[in-house]
Amino acid sequence: MASALQGILSTPSARRVCEQSLEQGAGNAGNRLQSCQISVRSSHLSSAACLSGRSKLFLAASTPSLTRNSRPGLRILAAAGSKKLGNRKLRVAVIGGGPAGGCAAETLAKNGIETFLIERKMDNAKPCGGAIPLCMVGEFDLPLDIIDRKVTKMKMISPSNVAVDVGKTLNENEYIGMVRREVLDSYLRERAASFGANLVNGLFLRMEMPSDANAPYVLHYNLYKPGSSVGVPATLEVDAVIGADGANSRVAKDIDAGDYDYAIAFQERIKIPDDKMVYYENLAEMYVGDDVSPDFYGWVFPKCDHVAVGTGTVINKPAIKKYQVATRHRARDKIAGGKIIRVEAHPIPEHPRPRRVRDRVALVGDAAGYVTKCSGEGIYFAAKSGRMCAEAIVEGSEKGVRMINEADLRSYLQKWDTKYWPTYKVLDILQKVFYRSNPAREAFVELCADEYVQKMTFDSYLYKTVVPGNPLDDIKLAVNTIGSLIRANALRKEARKAVLT
Amino acid sequence: MASSEEERVPATNSAPSEVAVLPQKEEGDSTAQSSGKKKPSPLEKGGTLRGEAAEGKDPSPAALGKKSSAVSGEKFEDPRWKNGNWDMTKFVKNGKMDWDAVIDAEVLRRKWLEENPEASSNDDPVLFDTATVPWWAWVRRFHLPEAELLNGRAAMVGFFAAYLIDSLTGVGLVDQTNSFFGKLLLLITVVGILLVRKNEDLETIKTLVKESTFYDKQWQATWKDSEEQQKK
Repeated sequence: MASALQGILSTPSARRVCEQSLEQGAGNAGNRLQSCQISVRSSHLSSAACLSGRSKLFLAASTPSLTRNSRPGLRILAAAGSKKLGNRKLRVAVIGGGPAGGCAAETLAKNGIETFLIERKMDNAKPCGGAIPLCMVGEFDLPLDIIDRKVTKMKMISPSNVAVDVGKTLNENEYIGMVRREVLDSYLRERAASFGANLVNGLFLRMEMPSDANAPYVLHYNLYKPGSSVGVPATLEVDAVIGADGANSRVAKDIDAGDYDYAIAFQERIKIPDDKMVYYENLAEMYVGDDVSPDFYGWVFPKCDHVAVGTGTVINKPAIKKYQVATRHRARDKIAGGKIIRVEAHPIPEHPRPRRVRDRVALVGDAAGYVTKCSGEGIYFAAKSGRMCAEAIVEGSEKGVRMINEADLRSYLQKWDTKYWPTYKVLDILQKVFYRSNPAREAFVELCADEYVQKMTFDSYLYKTVVPGNPLDDIKLAVNTIGSLIRANALRKEARKAVLT
Repeated sequence: MASSEEERVPATNSAPSEVAVLPQKEEGDSTAQSSGKKKPSPLEKGGTLRGEAAEGKDPSPAALGKKSSAVSGEKFEDPRWKNGNWDMTKFVKNGKMDWDAVIDAEVLRRKWLEENPEASSNDDPVLFDTATVPWWAWVRRFHLPEAELLNGRAAMVGFFAAYLIDSLTGVGLVDQTNSFFGKLLLLITVVGILLVRKNEDLETIKTLVKESTFYDKQWQATWKDSEEQQKK
């Protein structure tokens, strides 16, 4: 189960640095094709323009308002004259070598597209909870030795310390995998490289926008040669860019993607005595309460040979250390005698950026803001969005043969929004209802004691499908929810009048 | 932001007694004015609220820093609280279970814990579930007084409205309730009183509506962009 015990500051995995000498591919000049756009709403053609040369019709069935009552409008974006690239393949740069970048690069390289994966630190241990759902292991063919621990039990602890055990409904094959980010990320990158992606150890600085629909993007980055910590300025010309560079994405800044709200997640890695570590063998804890966070939760997650104790908040970031002290205090008896070995923090996006795609640049993963509310889960969605975006590029370019345009990348957004919107919305509702105030959190923990709730929660978390479930049980659950909320709020209102003796 | 420190996690209550001081609203504004345009740090943007709003909805005294959360070593103590649960036998009055006393005791326990958060312990887990108090005890204690209040208000308003309509139109109470329009108005009034019980409720409802659609708007921002481009 657990691989050999290593400290966090473990030795770096192998680096691969490739240098490219880049030239403009020959044969770009040639057919000048007019591109035109045909916009179709419902069933009538608004206008048509002339075409010359080859043309390709892109059908993007878009549903601008993703509510159940909207009628899907059919929008056909025809970019006539998406030219064939002649004797070269499409070049795509993936900026950022985390789960999103690694999976995107793998899919691109597998399908014959010339891929450049630019990562600034090949042994980066990104501050992260490190939890991956079961479906990720299957979908991304992860080897089981990547997983340090299989968490099968969770404890939810309410503000008044009511502790509820969650996980009774899991069978022996179901678990939440805890991974070390440096191990997972380097595995995905190496796999992408094995399919033919070029791993570039460099720090992306900025990119120049192309002058027309067929001109390349010019990326400026600092190349790190092996053994040297000084970057050498270099440039790279590519046809499309996937921005997978995380919450502080520079690609997002370059395309004016806009800002998002983000939480600050603060975490301390604590090495606790072995007898205390036994308790956390395959158990993770979640603490809720105003003292721990006004809009998130505090956690104790087991890592390879230590625990990570942390908390996060959106609305009161300057006071994050106060919340961390409170979290440590709540877990005081269980981590007593421990030694803090590392302190780390990172922003977590709360919602997608206003603009996720522009021309031939797309954002995926944290850079796009694909982190769920309530649980703050991001690894699976990063990997999946990287893969989906790459698949859209592969499809749009017919395996690297044609140039792509914005419509291809928008089809990835379309697929993504349609597939995962319910998941995100449900978690948003849960956060709004249950992280609201202490009474709401008490009700939340009370509800988690219910087996039906546990089963639904784990099914939807582990397999990433919003499972409908039995309607009678749903009604019972709704009644219980309302009951718990009313009771907890009633107690709180009485507390205002009460005086402690 | 990673830095390795070596620090002993306090096993006793020797945690720092000072809670982090929150930046006051006035300080931030004045420094911005005095030094011209000051770029906000990452901790001050991305959804950070200021002042009271930053503490979240309904914060406890411990969260507000009014009581030092990590220092007090006193645990909640009550002769009727045993082994993480209320001892129901201690609440019997005149041979019958006194649920109101159970509710009062739990209220005091939660109030205590909000002001003095305790460490959660495996040896001493909390097992009390509010569902053990039967539903009718909750109804009797919390719902009935408010229902009485609202019904009283509704009756007064209804009587006055019926009188007014009768004096204006000559239609008596029986005929008012027989007409479809009358029934419709009655329904609207009843539903309105249920939803809007105080003036503050109007604000609450507006905020709730805004909140429930905000996330959707954030997700669809990318599609608004494409629609605008289409129109160009």
